[in-house]
Amino acid sequence: MNPLTDMLLVFLILTTFKLLASGRLRACVRAVAAQGVALGLLTLAMHQGALSLHIVTLACGSMALKGLVFPWVLSRALREAKVQREVEPYVSYTLSILSGLVALSVSLWIGSRLHLPPESFSKLVFPSALFTVLAGLFVIVARRTAVMQVLGFLVLENGIYTFGVGRVGDMPFLVELGVLLDLFVAVFVMGITIYHINREFDHIDTDRLDSLKG
Amino acid sequence: MNLLSFLVPVFALAFAPLLGGVINRTKAFVAGRVGPPVLQAYYDLARLLRKGAVYSRTTSWVFRAGPVVGLAAVLAATALVPFGGFSAPLAFNGDLVLLAYLFGLMRFFTVIAAMDTGSSFEGMGASREVTFALLAEPALFLGLAAIARKTQSLSLSTMFPDAWLSSGIVLALIAAALMVIVLAENSRIPVDDPDTHLELTMIHEVMVLDHSGPDFAFILYGAALKLWVLSALVVGIALPHSGNLWADTSAALAAMFVLAVLVGVVESCMARLRLVRVPRLLAGAGVLAALALLLVFEGF
Amino acid sequence: MLGALVALPVMWAAAGWRLRSARRVLDWVCAGVCAQSALCLLVVALGGPDGAPPAVAGWLFLDALSTYHLMVLMAVYLLSSFGARGFFAHEIEVGTFALPLARLFAALWMASLAAMTLVLLSNNLGLMWVGMEATTLLTAFLIYVHRTPRALEAMWKYLLICSVGIAFAFMGTLLVAAAATKGLGMVGEALLWTRLREGAANLDATTMKAAFIFLLVGYGTKAGLAPLHNWLPDAHSQAPAPVSAIFSGFMLNASLYCLMRYVPLVEGSTGHSGWALDLLRLIGVVSILVAAAFILFQHDLKRLLAYHSVEHLGVIAVGLGLGGLGTFAALFHTLNHSLCKTLGFLCAGRLGQIYGTHDMTAMTGTVRRARLWGWGLLLSFLALIGAAPFAIFMSELLMLKAAIDARALAVLVLFLLGTATVFVGALRHAIAMAWGSHDGPASARTATAVDGVVVSACVAILVLLGLWMPQPLLRTIEAAARIIGGHE
Repeated sequence: MNPLTDMLLVFLILTTFKLLASGRLRACVRAVAAQGVALGLLTLAMHQGALSLHIVTLACGSMALKGLVFPWVLSRALREAKVQREVEPYVSYTLSILSGLVALSVSLWIGSRLHLPPESFSKLVFPSALFTVLAGLFVIVARRTAVMQVLGFLVLENGIYTFGVGRVGDMPFLVELGVLLDLFVAVFVMGITIYHINREFDHIDTDRLDSLKG
Repeated sequence: MNLLSFLVPVFALAFAPLLGGVINRTKAFVAGRVGPPVLQAYYDLARLLRKGAVYSRTTSWVFRAGPVVGLAAVLAATALVPFGGFSAPLAFNGDLVLLAYLFGLMRFFTVIAAMDTGSSFEGMGASREVTFALLAEPALFLGLAAIARKTQSLSLSTMFPDAWLSSGIVLALIAAALMVIVLAENSRIPVDDPDTHLELTMIHEVMVLDHSGPDFAFILYGAALKLWVLSALVVGIALPHSGNLWADTSAALAAMFVLAVLVGVVESCMARLRLVRVPRLLAGAGVLAALALLLVFEGF
Repeated sequence: MLGALVALPVMWAAAGWRLRSARRVLDWVCAGVCAQSALCLLVVALGGPDGAPPAVAGWLFLDALSTYHLMVLMAVYLLSSFGARGFFAHEIEVGTFALPLARLFAALWMASLAAMTLVLLSNNLGLMWVGMEATTLLTAFLIYVHRTPRALEAMWKYLLICSVGIAFAFMGTLLVAAAATKGLGMVGEALLWTRLREGAANLDATTMKAAFIFLLVGYGTKAGLAPLHNWLPDAHSQAPAPVSAIFSGFMLNASLYCLMRYVPLVEGSTGHSGWALDLLRLIGVVSILVAAAFILFQHDLKRLLAYHSVEHLGVIAVGLGLGGLGTFAALFHTLNHSLCKTLGFLCAGRLGQIYGTHDMTAMTGTVRRARLWGWGLLLSFLALIGAAPFAIFMSELLMLKAAIDARALAVLVLFLLGTATVFVGALRHAIAMAWGSHDGPASARTATAVDGVVVSACVAILVLLGLWMPQPLLRTIEAAARIIGGHE
């Protein structure tokens, strides 16, 4: 068990809690950016054997994307919309933190029951991945600002990525690149959509987008 | 029960008011002022003990009992927490629960003394204090439980020297949680501002508004001892033990003052949180401690 | 050669960027789709009935299943492109479809075609996923061509729900890769479908089951299976009609195609116990019933058609879940439903332009006011609800037979219940629209010859397939069904 891996995974869990606990949108964007950088480092830390060029480029690419590009896109959207804080969320922050704790306990319990190979990595990989996925879903559902929903989506993807890094040793390079590209385009498109939503409706509160029913 | 272990409460009794002085001096330094002398708390205690107390006609024996019982409780607490290389004089299995409840006793008597005055300010302070204490206790218990589980012992004196068996992550999380507890229980920023003179913004200060003379001296001294005891918990986790008694103790003493400086820095850099935000902070501390406990269960 | 199929639309779109008028852009798009169809036919003809061998390092390949879907894709795109040309011609006249918008539309349209082709041609399951995600992102902006607030709301819902769904599908893909790495010892080739299918029996059953659940939820969201279908009515109703046509006509089928690729793998690993098929049946039946319930209360024409899509995708899922003849029926249904939906949406779009609204209570007397589109819509409704002699009646009948053969009586009863409800509900709307009284004059604009060809071609093929199935088609569908059943 690599101590660096453990530290990065706990950092992942802590940033996810920060996202659950905070209503300040800029702080949440920074937390998710930090999470992205930690995941890039995790890719490097969990790689067994010699560091090949492709792993290093992939890790650096994803760190640059998640640590710099995505926060920039989302901060721009926030600046345009002139929003500082989350509007009254559906689930209060204290309750969100406690739900996160429940989700973490459930993930740890499931992780101990499921005997997924290989165990050569940290015991925390599967639980932290599952917890991050659940937290991402929670944020998408429980928050009203469009930017928070995008952050929830990013956290969901981060959780799935953590699971992937832990379980699957080598995905083909092109596929990983394709995944990163898709993620980039997704966030980019979402950022543009938020800009349009703000321009059209003068708010980015998705609870008020309810004219289509039935 | 080592005779030398009686040094632990002696240290507490002697040096506790110094912590407050260091905090104030740090805050003044950061603000560019000279600030009060470091020994100011001792001068205040001496002055107050020389004075007479004034009691309101609407109060009863509860009002007089509050400071006394509070001081007694925290004095007992100083005998439970180990310091440096010494174990506590009154150590026994399960003393961590007694510690938490001694603080609870102190808080209870302060609260009922406050409510005994019949003033609405004190009542407001009392309700705030009790709410935040409710949320802070789980964090304290979970943090101590994590260490207890790791070291397989239930006495503070046996837990702390071995605390460094856990991984660094667990210790960091518990230390962070306990630091928030230190700030919350001792009415420091970001939970409460000790320097405010606006009663509506006070939590702890407002409960003791009506005490005077020796009673007030007991309260101040009790608060200083509480700060010392809780800081000793944090220092016990954060500091490694080398085995050499005197090296450990001097390191622990130094670390206490470093912690006081740290509290002073935190107080200077942050503003007090809005009262409705404090539960979130305390829940966050609880979650950190819970995470540490979960990690310990996982074998970290 | 296969790579060219993916690259051609993109290059065509890039080449068309310099055109000067919106009308020319639309013509260029039609020409591009024709060229792509020709290339497809060439590739398929060269490959023979078994499809071309794997190309591009084994990552792209063509077998009967992908050939069949490729044919459906090109048919839908051809019809929709010509329909789009006519649809947007009106908008160009009115001035709401300016050149920048036309260019964006053309680029996204062709790029979506390329992405969907990539999905169909992938042998690498990861690449297939990348293609699906790409279709989501590219088609998202197509919804927003009409810059209305509701379109924006629909786009946001679509983007978020489908992205989350696709993320789940990715989790499923990772689990499959994990199973492959462990069970078959593959590392770099962990995601090649052909290899996985050969070694399906060696894959760990629990992992594959967990993977299938994620995949079903993920690709099911994209396919519009209930209860994950919430984005579908909004997206289809707010997008312009040709875009809705390709959504319903092909994109939903593409997601089910992905599921079809995974079914033999899961079945092989669980020892053909039918576990995956049971799940498909369940979700199919739920979709049919939910859609039937919502169809009864609709008053927006395009939303009604969207709920029909949910119902028919449910029917296809049920067919897949029944196995054997059911798989054959499901694949046949794919073709029928795509054609029908394309026809339906194109007519609905034009009628919407004529009447100025999509509210069905306002759109009455369509066969008198706009003959071609009114009849087209009525016939498409009749076909959708499963009236004879249209093709959907045949495929649903085959599915009923498959249900009886498999002794799946609960499925049979619920299926009949759902489709009967849809029959009544939709027919009520269709008749009211076709022959109600109308106040406006007959449509001043006559439909062009191209529009006439599009509509009559759809109707003719639907009638033809309902009565007789040509042998090459029969063989292709049978071969595709065998692939899904794991017998090849």
